[in-house]
Amino acid sequence: MSIVAANPQLSPSPQSETELRMEGLWRVVVLNDPVNLMSYVVMVFKKVFGFDEQTARRRMLEVHEQGRSVVWSGLREKAEAYVFTLQQWHLTAVLEPDEAH
Amino acid sequence: MKRIEVKLALPVVAPLLDVIKELADSLSRNLAAPLALKDLDDEFQAAWRDELLSTQNEEVRTLLALFDDEFFSDGVVAFDETNAEIIVRACAAVRLRLREKYLKPLGDDEALESGDLDLMTLDEPLRRAFMCYLFLATIQELIIQHLDDSILGT
Repeated sequence: MSIVAANPQLSPSPQSETELRMEGLWRVVVLNDPVNLMSYVVMVFKKVFGFDEQTARRRMLEVHEQGRSVVWSGLREKAEAYVFTLQQWHLTAVLEPDEAH
Repeated sequence: MKRIEVKLALPVVAPLLDVIKELADSLSRNLAAPLALKDLDDEFQAAWRDELLSTQNEEVRTLLALFDDEFFSDGVVAFDETNAEIIVRACAAVRLRLREKYLKPLGDDEALESGDLDLMTLDEPLRRAFMCYLFLATIQELIIQHLDDSILGT
């Protein structure tokens, strides 16, 4: 039996729910809406993610044709910041755990 | 500073402003695109919502400020680097609210996406709402197409 396990005082503090939630990689997924213009969505993708015209257009078409597009993947905190920025542009975005990693 | 001026037909646009003003009231309390992150804790979610609402209100105020006394005397609105981004966002917010409040009876989102609808088949409130929807899309297209990257910062 290890010393740490035998003495709760020395155990690493259990991770909070928030810490666990923040772990791993997360995807920022933009969902389709029937309102926002294609040109507007392309402009937003270029501004927010720094995509070139071709990439922004490809992602926009994914949203339009498939209903969703994964536009970014990375740490939770930054993913949340991207979702917030997309909301400021009135696009609907969600976070999903990136299970590929 | 690059700037575009657009002369609008007052008799056509003036009635649409009433629709925008009415929706501005609704947008002062509700986000145009609902917050989709359900797993944020309540406090964090409320803080996000408040900040998003504050930005949204500022956008809509800027849009309405385009249609001031000068507009009603000469019918001209102007877009430049100080207002272009804000206006293009405000138009998105109002268009989303228009769909929620007026355009759902159209049922067919394809018609909304293409803008391909026979206005004469719609009753008056719906027709005015749809004209407003198209008008705001036209403003967005004008800004996106004519103000270059340095102004919109893409």
